[in-house]
Amino acid sequence: MKHSLFEVLIKPGGFFQDAIVEKESLKIPGLIVLALGIVSAVYAYLIGGLTGKMMAGLIPGMESIIAISTILGALFGVFVFWVIWAGLFYLISSLFKGEGTFKRLLEFVGYGFLPQIFGAILTLIVALQYLPRVIVPQITSTAAQDPQLIQEAVKALMHDPAMMEMTQITSIISIVFLLWSANIWIFGMQHSRKLSPRDAALCVGIPVVAYILYMVYSMAVM
Amino acid sequence: MKTARYISLFTLVLLAGAMVGVVAGFSTPESIVAADKVYVSSATYDPEVFFPGDTGTLTIEVTNGNTDTGIVVNHAQLSSDTIISTSSAYDTSSNLGPAQTQSFTFSITADGLNGIYFPTFSLSFRDADSLYYRAKVKIEDTPLVLAILDKPDTFSQGKKKIIYAQVANPRGNSVKNIILDISGTGITATPPILFVGDINSGAKIPVNFSVTADQPTTLHLNLNYDNGDNPHTVKMDLPITFGVDKKQANPVISNVQVKSDAGIYHITGDVNNAGLETANTVMVTTLSPAVPQDPYKNYVVGALKPDDFGSFEVTFSATDAETIPLQLSFKDADGNIYNSVQDVKLSSSLAGAAASNTGLPIIPIIAVIAILAIFIGGWIIYLKKIKK
Repeated sequence: MKHSLFEVLIKPGGFFQDAIVEKESLKIPGLIVLALGIVSAVYAYLIGGLTGKMMAGLIPGMESIIAISTILGALFGVFVFWVIWAGLFYLISSLFKGEGTFKRLLEFVGYGFLPQIFGAILTLIVALQYLPRVIVPQITSTAAQDPQLIQEAVKALMHDPAMMEMTQITSIISIVFLLWSANIWIFGMQHSRKLSPRDAALCVGIPVVAYILYMVYSMAVM
Repeated sequence: MKTARYISLFTLVLLAGAMVGVVAGFSTPESIVAADKVYVSSATYDPEVFFPGDTGTLTIEVTNGNTDTGIVVNHAQLSSDTIISTSSAYDTSSNLGPAQTQSFTFSITADGLNGIYFPTFSLSFRDADSLYYRAKVKIEDTPLVLAILDKPDTFSQGKKKIIYAQVANPRGNSVKNIILDISGTGITATPPILFVGDINSGAKIPVNFSVTADQPTTLHLNLNYDNGDNPHTVKMDLPITFGVDKKQANPVISNVQVKSDAGIYHITGDVNNAGLETANTVMVTTLSPAVPQDPYKNYVVGALKPDDFGSFEVTFSATDAETIPLQLSFKDADGNIYNSVQDVKLSSSLAGAAASNTGLPIIPIIAVIAILAIFIGGWIIYLKKIKK
C-alpha cells in the first residue's frame, strides 16, 4: 500500500484510488474494526457496570454476567455493524447499477471505521468524567417482582442528569465521527462500486442521514 | 220625783253587781295560772333561711308545762306582713294535756327582701288569755357559688380536657339536691350531669369534669339546687377557644434524607418531641402522590417523651413528583389523634428526573442538525464543483 492509513482520514479519494488496484484484503479493515470494538467494549463495560450495580440486589453475580455480556456485545456488535453498513451500501448502490464485489466494499467500509476509533476514545474519556456522578438506583428482590418498578428504576437511571448530559455529548461525538466515516465511505463506494460521486454520496448519505435522524429522535424522546 | 231618782240609782248598782258576778264566774285564777305554764318549745323553719319568694313551712311546737292540769286551746294563727301564711289558721279546740306538746305547722311564703323578720304566732286559750310568740326568720338572697379552680388555657379540637370546679355554700343554711348540668354546642362533657348532693352552710365541694370540644363554642354550666323545696339555679358560661396547647406534645421531623432504589424512594429521618407532654404512637407515612410501598409503608416510632427522639424510615414510589407530603401523626394521653404534614423535596437526581428533564434537549439537537447541514452542504458544494 502506497498510502498510509492516516491518508484515509484526510484524503480518502486518493487512498481508495490506490487501494482499488491492490488485492482485496480484510486484514487491516478487520484490525480497525477490532480496535474500535475494543474501545467500544471498554465503554460498554463502564455503562454495563451501572446496570450491574442497579441489578446487584436481584441475583448474586449479576454484575459479572452483565459486564461480560456488554463487553462481548460491544466487541462483536461492531463487526455486525460493519457488515450491516456494507450490506446496506451494497444494496443501495445496486440500484445505481454499481459494480464491484461485496468483499471490496466491505474492505473499504472497514477503513471508514477508522475515525470512529477516535470518536470512541473521546466518548470513553467523556464517560470516565460523567459516570462517577451518576446515581444508580438499586433494584431489590422485592421490587424485582413488580415490572413497573424495574421500569421506573431504569427510567430513573436514564434520566439521571449526569447520565443524560453524558448521553447527549457522546451522541454528538458519535454523529460527528460517523459523518467523518460517511465521508470516507462515499469515496470508498465511488471506487469499490464504480459509482459517480453523486450516486456514491446518495448511497452512503441516505442510510447515514436516516440513522443520524433516528439518533436525534432517540435523544429527543429520551 | 226624788223617789224615781233613787230607784234608777238602785237599778244601776244592781246591774253593776251582776256584771262583776259574771266576770268572777269565767276567769278563775287556776286557769290563768295554768295558761302561764304553756310555752312555745320550738319554732322550726324549713328551709332555715329563705330566698325572697321562697315558700316553706313554719312548725311551732307548744308544750304544756303543767304536770297535773290540761288546757284547752282553740285558735292558732301566724301573722306577719313579710312572711305570709298561705295556710288557714287553726280554729278547732283541742286539749293539751299535762306535759304534752302539740305542733302547729303553717305554710308560708317569704315576701320580703333581705333581712330578719319576726312573724307572730298567737294561740288562744279557752280559759285564759292568748299566747304570743315571735319566730325569728331570715331572708337572704345569696346563691351558691360555682367557681372554676383550674381549666386549660386553650382547647384543641377533639381533645379531652379536664375542668376543675368548686361548689361553695355561703348561705346561712344547707341546700340539697345540687346537680351540675354541663352542656354546649359541639361539646361532649363527661359526665354531662353531675350529682353533687347536699352542701352545708359554709362548706365547699370540688367538682371535676372533662370536656371535649369539636368547635370553638360556649360551655354552659347550670348549677341546680333546692332550698327547701324551692328550685334555684346558678348559671355560668365558659368560652371554649381553640389554640395551641402550650404543653402539647410537638413531634418535629428533622435530618430528612431521601434515597432512591429502583424506583422506590426511602426517606429516613428523626422525630424529636419538642413539646412538654408525651407523644404516643408516633407514626410516619407518605401521602399522595406518593404510593407507600413495602417494607416501610408506615413507620411506627412509638411513644416519645418530652425531649426524646426516634428515627424513622418510609418507602414509597412516586411518578413525576418533585415533592411529596410526609405525614406525622401521634396520639395524646386521651387517644386523640394529631396529624401534621411536611413536604419533602425529592432531589432531581433521584426522582424522576422525568419531571425535571422532560423537555427536548434543544441545544444538542440544534448542534446535530447544524453538523449534518454542514456535512450535506459541503458535499453538495463539492459535487457542484467537480461537475464543473
